[in-house]
Amino acid sequence: MTTTKTVVTLKVNGVERTAEVEPRLLLVHFLRDVLGLTGTHVGCDTSQCGACTVLLDGRGVKSCTVLAVQADGHEVTTVEGLARDGELHPIQEGFWEKHGLQCGFCTPGAMMTAVELLRQNPNPTDEEIREGLEGVICRCTGYENIVRAVKYAAERMRG
Amino acid sequence: MRVEYQYTYAATPEELWLLLNDENVLQRRLPGCKRLVPVGEGKYAAELGLDVGPVKGLFNGEVELVDPRPPQEYRLHVKGSGKPGEIDADAHIRLERKDGKTVLTCTADAHVTGIMASVGQRIMGGVAKLLMGQFFKGVDQELKRARS
Amino acid sequence: MASVFGTAIKRREDPRLITGNGRYTDDVQLPGMLYAAILRSPHAHARIRGINVEKAKRHPGVVAVFTGRDVAGKVAPIPTAWLPPDSNIKTPAHPALAVDSVRYVGDGVAMVVAESRYVARDALELIEVDYEVLPAVVDPEKAMEKGAPAVHEEVPDNVAFHWQAGSDPASAFQDAEVVVRHRFRQQRLIPNAMEPRSAVAQYNAGSGEMTVWVTSQNPHIHRFLLSNILGIPEHKLRIVAVDVGGGFGSKIPCYADEALVALAAKELGRPVKWTEDRRENFLATSHGRDEVIYAELAGKRDGTMLGLRIRMVANMGAYLSTAAPGVPTILFGLITVGPYRIPRAHTEVYGVFTNTTPTDAYRGAGRPEATYVIERMTDLFAREIGMDVVEVRKKNLIPAEEFPYTTALGLQYDSGNYHGALQKALEMVHYEEFRKEQERLRTQGRYIGLGWSTYVEICGLGPSQIAGAVGFQGGLWESAAVRVHPGGKVTVFTGASPHGQGEETTFAQIVADRFGIPVEDVEVVHGDTDRIPMGWGTYGSRATPVGGSALAVAADRILEKARKIAAHMLEVSEEDVEFADGKFQVKGVPTRQVTFQNVVLQAHLAWNLPAGVEPGLEAQAFYDPVNFCYPFGAHACVVEVDVETGQIKVLRYVAVDDCGPVINPMIVEGQVHGGIVQGMGQALWEGAVYDEQGQLVTGSFMDYAMPKARFFPSFETAHTVTPAPHNPLGVKGIGETGTIAATPAVVNAVVDALAPFGVADLEMPLTPEKIWKITHGRDA
Repeated sequence: MTTTKTVVTLKVNGVERTAEVEPRLLLVHFLRDVLGLTGTHVGCDTSQCGACTVLLDGRGVKSCTVLAVQADGHEVTTVEGLARDGELHPIQEGFWEKHGLQCGFCTPGAMMTAVELLRQNPNPTDEEIREGLEGVICRCTGYENIVRAVKYAAERMRG
Repeated sequence: MRVEYQYTYAATPEELWLLLNDENVLQRRLPGCKRLVPVGEGKYAAELGLDVGPVKGLFNGEVELVDPRPPQEYRLHVKGSGKPGEIDADAHIRLERKDGKTVLTCTADAHVTGIMASVGQRIMGGVAKLLMGQFFKGVDQELKRARS
Repeated sequence: MASVFGTAIKRREDPRLITGNGRYTDDVQLPGMLYAAILRSPHAHARIRGINVEKAKRHPGVVAVFTGRDVAGKVAPIPTAWLPPDSNIKTPAHPALAVDSVRYVGDGVAMVVAESRYVARDALELIEVDYEVLPAVVDPEKAMEKGAPAVHEEVPDNVAFHWQAGSDPASAFQDAEVVVRHRFRQQRLIPNAMEPRSAVAQYNAGSGEMTVWVTSQNPHIHRFLLSNILGIPEHKLRIVAVDVGGGFGSKIPCYADEALVALAAKELGRPVKWTEDRRENFLATSHGRDEVIYAELAGKRDGTMLGLRIRMVANMGAYLSTAAPGVPTILFGLITVGPYRIPRAHTEVYGVFTNTTPTDAYRGAGRPEATYVIERMTDLFAREIGMDVVEVRKKNLIPAEEFPYTTALGLQYDSGNYHGALQKALEMVHYEEFRKEQERLRTQGRYIGLGWSTYVEICGLGPSQIAGAVGFQGGLWESAAVRVHPGGKVTVFTGASPHGQGEETTFAQIVADRFGIPVEDVEVVHGDTDRIPMGWGTYGSRATPVGGSALAVAADRILEKARKIAAHMLEVSEEDVEFADGKFQVKGVPTRQVTFQNVVLQAHLAWNLPAGVEPGLEAQAFYDPVNFCYPFGAHACVVEVDVETGQIKVLRYVAVDDCGPVINPMIVEGQVHGGIVQGMGQALWEGAVYDEQGQLVTGSFMDYAMPKARFFPSFETAHTVTPAPHNPLGVKGIGETGTIAATPAVVNAVVDALAPFGVADLEMPLTPEKIWKITHGRDA
């Protein structure tokens, strides 16, 4: 398939990145294959698993349902951009502290989903956290420790 | 997968039979029909565009009218393939006179492969009914148009 | 310094995984890398009349297209590695790409290699295959019927193997006052590790070295098999699998795709990557379970179990996958009596070919099925004789004083206190109060139920001699190397290949505990055949009991040598030196001591070593266990069934497990949680469905119900501790217990809840539709 390429410019984790891409290129493949940011994973092809979740202008999106060209001119935060100045983000601390991950594959997306969840609801109950994780499939943890991790982060972020 | 659909027409079986076998009606009313070219007795080469939930695609294939017993029944055999997979459907259509009207009953058996099967099959039954409804209601509109 | 063994320290693998610095196979990017995509059969059974790849080859960006004919002779058929003896096993060739026939939807037909992922996929659509569709068979029992389509011409009855264990329990059935008979269906499950399978291959034509990064639970087994398949000698073949995104059994097998990628890299002289998408994973990665089981339990009216007869028909799919024949035979057939004292038992298993995706191990592998059957049968037996389900269990559980206990099927259960675990669970559940509450709620039209699962499982695979006796084409020992660096830091190399279970942490704890050094001073290396001498991988809950034991043995060898050097430094005899908290000390003279680090440095400097002691400090161990491990426990599940909607809500889940001494309670608890969720998944939601033509109709996460966070309550976990008597750590496996125990606990609970409706059994998964039909008097 010959396609005309388009130039896109995105701010990814605070750094401006420009590349020429096919219009059909998914944002997740742009991040992984073009920019080499392999922390964002692909776990399915029907937007169910949430492994590819990133923040687009601060809001959680599944990057397998966004085209790179749609993200042109926008800001993207990936798992690589969560920690600031060598300090882990509270959600990262929570996952580490509470054993919220095992194989780690769904974890970047699960953490980004949790960031979005806490943005919408800074003080969630266990039940609200479980509801908020609807778009995350984790096969390892049984979710219990992910719930504990999110709760831990919520407390930390509320200060 | 088996699907059944019933529709009652304010017409005689004979009138309905003519419409159902009119290739212009078929072309106009078969959902997603982009092309219908006769290639033999009761046989057409067809191009159909279908959307089954998350699966969309263009199918190339054949539509064949089999065992016609005017004006009571016939079979419609649809075979097609496209990017989302292959379809092989056999529909049995019966026309019954009832209280001056005609009750059409269509029983279809369809097999699909590819992404249609693994992703689309869950909602295929519903989609098939919807498409049949579009077609048979479309035929009803043709009937009304022919009369006006 | 307090011991780190038994403490819930944070995982050492996490910092890289939570910052996006993990290195999973698809993360590997190499200069000049090409991408492969595999065309898969859309038909369950068809003859290939012809393949036209010309359009695909001409497509811009396509570098090469391979068909079955192109690779035949270069890639040997994919073998099975478990051949149960005396089973008349048939192993029809499994070509890497189909040549004449396809035998399941997903069978590989051609491979495209292109400059990008997208182009490779595009080109797949340009390949024209002329199929002559043949009749297919999907159901294992139908496949055994006369006149069923033969999946392989050379196996006309579709029976891949017929295996038996135990002896005829006829006498028990003659003596019986009660015989309970039942047919169980273990539905097919899709393992669905979150990381899809992937392989990247790089070949150096100059040195002849091939490196394959691959999603594997057992890189050395992959090397062993790929070396044969590709004809590349082991010393020129390197397999790397450091970060693997879950396996659950589906990354044990060696797959054709992995060999094809290696072939392409060699032929094209450029690195090649292939990664499946989820839809491909559903079709072409091994499935689990899918068996029909006929059970007969003989007993007395006082609740005594006398005999058990089991017949299983196991769906193997279209080919025998790597470990597949071991699952229904050894891992199921030898443990069907569960934790009960059943004097006579017999198991018979038919492995059957069908036109479906090959099955293989899936978390628990055989043991969940065995536990499900015996735990459901126990409840059916209790119902038949009008006895409480807990009383029946108490009456038949093997008493603690009878260990080691040899079962009617020939296994020797190592150690146990089954009544102790049950007692603890009973206390946590408040059993009597529950029964009262259940009665009270029933009068209000509310239906709650409590289900039990007292289980024992066989893991820590396993003694190599037994592995050989049961037909596994490999050993099951494990290797460990401990390298102590001059400054006192330690690198540990293990042949176990963890992929989420946390052994980078627990193994460091084992070594730090033995040496009395900070856990931060120990680094655990795994998943690379160039760095690890040999290993058999992680599955069958073997990493800690076998790999951890290997490590303990190696560490003790280090200490043995260090003690000699320390004694020399302290100018006393070896017997006068004791080691504690990282210090060698002259017995009774606390002032005369040298630290572990002092000794390590002296060992490396070698200025003044005792006679006969070599410089350096490194030890290796190849540990072969003398027995399997038999973890056990008691799980209880409380559910409420909404009889109006058919919805099942899990209200409580109590798990008491005994895996011997716990190295890291946080990690063990995590393993239990994850296991329970997978076990509940089978009970309530998951199930792969094929239509009669062999199309997988549950081929995506939209159609296959994966457990989600909101489906569960918070779990209540506890432990009893009964060490394994035969390994140096006393540990047993914990990775699969949740999956093994949970499924029958949940189903027993739902059946209990629906007792007023006359329900005796339900077929999994217990979807609301099934329940609704029962509570509304419709045929289920």
